[in-house]
Amino acid sequence: MNSKAITRAAAVTIALIAAATLGSELSASFKQLLSNIGGHHWIGKSVLSVVFFGLLYLVFAKVSDEKFALRDTGVLIGTVLISGLAILSFYVLHA
Amino acid sequence: MVNPLILIHAVLAEIGLFAFLWVVVEMLNPSEIRIARAQVAALIGFACLYFAWLVGGFYYIEVYGLHVKPLIKASDAKWVHSIVMEVKEHIFLFLPILATLTTALLYKYDGELIDNRDARLSIVLLAGLIFLMGFSIAGMGAIISSGYRFALMTGMT
Repeated sequence: MNSKAITRAAAVTIALIAAATLGSELSASFKQLLSNIGGHHWIGKSVLSVVFFGLLYLVFAKVSDEKFALRDTGVLIGTVLISGLAILSFYVLHA
Repeated sequence: MVNPLILIHAVLAEIGLFAFLWVVVEMLNPSEIRIARAQVAALIGFACLYFAWLVGGFYYIEVYGLHVKPLIKASDAKWVHSIVMEVKEHIFLFLPILATLTTALLYKYDGELIDNRDARLSIVLLAGLIFLMGFSIAGMGAIISSGYRFALMTGMT
């Protein structure tokens, strides 16, 4: 297993979950597209998060070396915090 | 009556979160036996969070969306759905990804964790993040339950 690739895949997947969450609230057609995957937009996001995590790992495993550093984890944690804050701020502002 | 699915969802999630707290404790001063225990804890946490995802998702679509959400949205506490539930259901999606990564790193580095400071600290930070985020989400769940009770009470008066 390539540690750097799986950490990067996790960071990008989490950013994509946040983008899909905001995008589905701003675009009815995108929300419908997500709903078409599993009958509900949340199921669509859930399925896509697993699929993208796997695919992104395969992509990053091709281009990343295996030298894993704490910095990779720092980038991931920063992505989690920014994505979480973006989701929280969006729903507070649009409630 | 409380739907049993929500109880199963909450119990599985909390076992999963405490399993990752267990990982943090074992990895603060790792030895071969502590790493082995951390791997077991991470597997338990990983499995519990994935089952909590499935059970919670089924409850959210089949019960909450049909019976609970309309009541909350019709009450003065509609912010409980439009802010708290919306944030909870989406931020939860981060946890299975983080749990998969943390478990994978524990098995990848195995005995190397005694000397590999970056990998060890990464696992401590990620497992700690899972625990803190998870209990923030559990707190949101408690607010949603209170919002439902509020909606039921005000609906009856």
